[in-house]
Amino acid sequence: MKAIIQRLHLTHPGHFVGGLTLWSIWFITIYGGLSVACAVAPPDPAQGALTSINISLLLLSLLTALLLAGLAWGCFQEAKMHEGRRHFNAFVSAWLYVFSAGGVMFVAGPMVGLPPCL
Amino acid sequence: MTTRNPEATGPENLQKLHDDLSDVWGNPRGLKALTIVNHTTLGLRFMVTGMAFFLIGGILAMLIRTQIATPDQNFLTPDIYSQVTTMHGTVMMFLFAIPILEGLAIYMIPKMIGARDLVCPRLTALGYWCYLFGGIILCFSMVLEMAPDSGWFMYTPLSSSEYSPGLGSDFWLLGITFVEISALSAGVELVVSILRTRTQGMALHKMPLFAWYILAMALMIVVGFPPLILGSILLELERAVGMPFFDIAGGGDPVLWQHLFWLFGHPEVYIIFLPAAGIVSTIIPVFAGRPIVGYGWVVFAITVMGFVSFGLWVHHMFTVGIPQLAQAFFSAASMLVAIPTGIQIFAWLATLWLGKPKMKLPMLWIVGFLVIFVCGGLTGVMLALVPFNWQVHDTHFVVAHMHYVLVGGMLFPLMAGIYYWLPLFSGRMPSETIGKWGFWLVFIGFNATFLIMHWTGLLGMPRRVYTYDTGFGWDIFNLLSSVGSFVMSAGFAMVLIDIALHFRYGKPAKTNPWNADTLEWANQLPPSPYNFVSLPPVETRHPLWEHPELPQQMQEGKHGLAAADHGRRELWGTDPLTGKVREIIHLPGNSWWPLFAAMALAVVCISLLLRWYPVAGVGVLIAIGFLLRWSWENGAHPRAAPDAKVMPGDPPLHSRTMDGPGLWAMTTAMIANGSFFLSYLFGWFYLWTVSPGWRMPDASPLSLVALVVAGVALLGGSALMESSVSKLRKQQDSGLAMRLYGAAILGALQFALILWVMWRADLAVTETSHDAILMVGLYYALLHSALGAVISLLQGMRVGYRYVGVHAPFEPVVVAYFWRYNAVVFWMLIVALAVLPRVIGS
Amino acid sequence: MRERYLYHVASLCIQRAVTRRVNRLTYVSLVVLLGLTGCAGDKSILDPAGQAARDVVLIWWIMLTFATVVFIGVIALWLYAFKRKHQERTPQQERKIARRWIVGGGILLPVFSVSALLIFGVPTGKRMLPLPLSEPPEVIEVIGHQWWWEVRYPGAEGGEVVTSNQLIMPAGEPVDFHVTSADVIHAFWVPRLGGKIDMLPGRVNVIRLEADEPGIFGAQCAEFCGAQHAHMNLYVEAVEREEYEAWLADRQEERLAELAIANENFTQARETFASTCAACHSVAGLSSSSIGPDLSDIGARYTLGAGVLPMEEGAIHYWLENHQTLKPSNKMPPHDYMDTATLESLGAWLETLTP
Repeated sequence: MKAIIQRLHLTHPGHFVGGLTLWSIWFITIYGGLSVACAVAPPDPAQGALTSINISLLLLSLLTALLLAGLAWGCFQEAKMHEGRRHFNAFVSAWLYVFSAGGVMFVAGPMVGLPPCL
Repeated sequence: MTTRNPEATGPENLQKLHDDLSDVWGNPRGLKALTIVNHTTLGLRFMVTGMAFFLIGGILAMLIRTQIATPDQNFLTPDIYSQVTTMHGTVMMFLFAIPILEGLAIYMIPKMIGARDLVCPRLTALGYWCYLFGGIILCFSMVLEMAPDSGWFMYTPLSSSEYSPGLGSDFWLLGITFVEISALSAGVELVVSILRTRTQGMALHKMPLFAWYILAMALMIVVGFPPLILGSILLELERAVGMPFFDIAGGGDPVLWQHLFWLFGHPEVYIIFLPAAGIVSTIIPVFAGRPIVGYGWVVFAITVMGFVSFGLWVHHMFTVGIPQLAQAFFSAASMLVAIPTGIQIFAWLATLWLGKPKMKLPMLWIVGFLVIFVCGGLTGVMLALVPFNWQVHDTHFVVAHMHYVLVGGMLFPLMAGIYYWLPLFSGRMPSETIGKWGFWLVFIGFNATFLIMHWTGLLGMPRRVYTYDTGFGWDIFNLLSSVGSFVMSAGFAMVLIDIALHFRYGKPAKTNPWNADTLEWANQLPPSPYNFVSLPPVETRHPLWEHPELPQQMQEGKHGLAAADHGRRELWGTDPLTGKVREIIHLPGNSWWPLFAAMALAVVCISLLLRWYPVAGVGVLIAIGFLLRWSWENGAHPRAAPDAKVMPGDPPLHSRTMDGPGLWAMTTAMIANGSFFLSYLFGWFYLWTVSPGWRMPDASPLSLVALVVAGVALLGGSALMESSVSKLRKQQDSGLAMRLYGAAILGALQFALILWVMWRADLAVTETSHDAILMVGLYYALLHSALGAVISLLQGMRVGYRYVGVHAPFEPVVVAYFWRYNAVVFWMLIVALAVLPRVIGS
Repeated sequence: MRERYLYHVASLCIQRAVTRRVNRLTYVSLVVLLGLTGCAGDKSILDPAGQAARDVVLIWWIMLTFATVVFIGVIALWLYAFKRKHQERTPQQERKIARRWIVGGGILLPVFSVSALLIFGVPTGKRMLPLPLSEPPEVIEVIGHQWWWEVRYPGAEGGEVVTSNQLIMPAGEPVDFHVTSADVIHAFWVPRLGGKIDMLPGRVNVIRLEADEPGIFGAQCAEFCGAQHAHMNLYVEAVEREEYEAWLADRQEERLAELAIANENFTQARETFASTCAACHSVAGLSSSSIGPDLSDIGARYTLGAGVLPMEEGAIHYWLENHQTLKPSNKMPPHDYMDTATLESLGAWLETLTP
């Protein structure tokens, strides 16, 4: 675990954009995935929200959020270990990862209640 | 390494230093003023031009409000009204809001980060000329009564040749694309300047917040504008040539235009808001007399806004009929923006809370901003809710919301900023009395116009109607809105008079008149063309608060780079993270090439409008010629830095290293190019999967073998470039020219093969959108292969002139980057256009 | 129906508000409370006549209340920050206060607000989705043209019914509107019944709306569609089921065709129609073209030119003479090559087309 965290250079300001880049990729994937799935194999509207499309999108979202939460945790660890510039970078990145994880769950929320292709 | 002559700064030496600097950096007068590349002058030109367009846009707004002040008016004909509304939106967005904020950033950024100019001064000049010429061309359409009339969003098919047969849409598409060259060039150089030219010691987390905001804005321009450029090119091709990208009958889809437009259009709102918020974050601490609270939180908020704003575009398209779950994603993402906005508003509040705020004129505009912007933000959250949006979309409610956000979020902070920085522009202080009158008139007039307009919208009045019947209860509210709008324009007239008068009657300003903390106030008032006599080390966020003596010391040449007898325009090239000095960046001086290139591009633009394609072709070639000539005067060229001598202890010149701003500019430009390319791929896959009338042949018309051979040639060329670079890194330049020529030949081979593929494919580009979009992809690859070949060829020639070699190894590195980009993109293109259709089939 | 319409045109806004039932009174009182005594005309979002629109209005008032509280709160805090006396604090104290503001106001407040909005707001839209029903709803097709509306009833008993610029729908039951466009993008919007939906060429969008009870509702194209976007009104009326079916039955093609040739005084007018107007317009039994609006029942409509003129005696003639001034740039060529008598008789004949 430690080795991974070190590999990631979590005090580098590149991580400012890391979380939100993952968020964006996830966002494009679910939007694109939904559009393609609805074009290729739209489920019966009678099924409501509990379709294979919604479930797989939700699972993907959960995994993404977990990954982001893990990175946030790593950044917080790093932030504790440093001061000055490195602390600043890791700390801001940590909150950006937190936001991204929260953002994934928030945006994924409607998958629970809305049918996919109507 | 910081100071040239630490002991010898006596009065005579100091005078000589100033004279030397003025010789090197000074602005010529008369006709030669057209060659100026200095950021101070060009920043002001941008802002003054922006103000002129603001007046034009304002007059158009008055025409609109006059027409719909009462029901059944005949003040404007329906056609003219459509032109007026379209041009009001277009002028305000593209010719006022973005350029004026860019101008402010161009003016302010080098001064704030302790530099003497932006890294690509000639690009600043090119940007300005493209903006000016593009704006004039666009506005000239109104004189001809041929202005675009399908709305500033240009939805197809209304804007297509069938429903808008005149030149209006062409004026828009060509003019705006021309103007966007300026936005993109400013975007690229602002990114690089902020990252690489901060003064010594100014680490990333120590730079002024304004620089963070502008960094985000510039990156957003770089990523956000290319989708619209692509969209404009496709639509112009549809109009001029008949390639059916957006035409249902030809297998295109009008909704694709909406996606491309709003992929740009939504980030644009934040591109406008971020610099304005940067002004707020700069001014509030100064007038609260304490550092901003939550610097890190604000950086967090800026980053979040920069990203999330790209995930919102569909909220302009909630009524298009996209599945509701997909709409819900965008609805939720739109609401997420409330968090970074909230953080900033409360960080500003906390700063005021913990400081000793003083209500001076700039602060008045900031409070006005807050009232209006919070209101606009709250209606924005409401609009993010899909069912509510379905009701008020395209009504006056949205018009009101949008003006609250844009006028509140951009114009009020801009006015605050203009008043705040007036002493810097003119050396004089603004008056408090006329300024206050102006503020209150604008504030009251604005709210009278637009607060009421929410209600008009809720009563069901749609946008963009040139007239309406009495009896819906809209009459009185429209009349009140119109009265309010005239009050507001009276207010702006007063503000403009105030500003004009102050140049003559304002009290002369003393040094750092507002007791601000940032470096721009270490300039002379008004500033000299070189900004600072010497560049200081800065390791705090508030240099002028912690070192009040700094301006004096800098003037006396006690800090870095205090010499100009070498005749070079110099500034520090620093590490993007730590601010440690890496090299000395030398900048090109005044030049005719930017003006000439922009003039050639203007000829291209006009001849495309008039459909004189041969002239346009010649114009393109001339423009390329000018640009290549411009790039020739770099590095060890006699007009750049033939002599690489630096003072003992100083770092080398950037052109003598393997890293410099050009490399960063190339990278940033390739991000923009990549965004363009990804938008293209989006268009291809979108049409393929979603377009209702899509027709795709069973067998791909593109020869896979030829494309793969072309791809291999490209990889070969790229490998040659990489080996040139690695040899240079090892101080070897034997055979350098041969390798560069080799790469050029391989590029030419790739070019020839793509041409052959195009010819063999025999695409019916006016028949189906499939063939049309394939052709665009092939042209993209073709242009890139040609560009790669030409710049490698020129590098080979420069080796012969001794401008490039072990002594000046910089340029091949930059060119190798381009090849790398080209290789990645070309292979992606092969997979997307030639492999996937074979694998998946139609 | 005609009387109802005339009443509707004549009655003043206030009278209308008063004659409405008590649930409207809440709205009226709110309007008065806000000091905005303007009339909620028949395009007002705030005067819903269907459940979908009512849900949205409810959300609007809740959002407005909440937003007002937040707005006043934030502004008051800012202004107070200017007035309050400055206290010296240690950096620790400052940091604590700062964190309280940023976390409380900047994070918790928006997170709470938008979560509540999303949870309560998103289900509202479901009502307008064409979810499967136990009994399939009535389907009405609406096709946008520059600048008029084509309305089709594919499910009518005895064959499809076509009309223009008027939409009669059954009240008290959900209706699915299948909307599309013949040229540029338009948008279908009946503000008092529910949200709008774009009408795109090449695509069919579906929106489900329901009118609580019989009534007349204004509707207007909501997406900018060119010079005469302002004059693209649609007359919408909800009627009881039986009345609706009778209305459709009256418009069966053979009945309309009989009607067109019923009056023998207008042989000349019919000939003029066949030689000129028929190129674009259809009248059942005489011509079929959908370039311009179908005129088979034009005499029974309430407006002309998609809402430009009220229909009354002589109105069609007036329109035929002056349509390019009344609705500049509309796609019908001017009739200056025809004499007044011809146009007059043409108008008089068309006025007889009242099934």
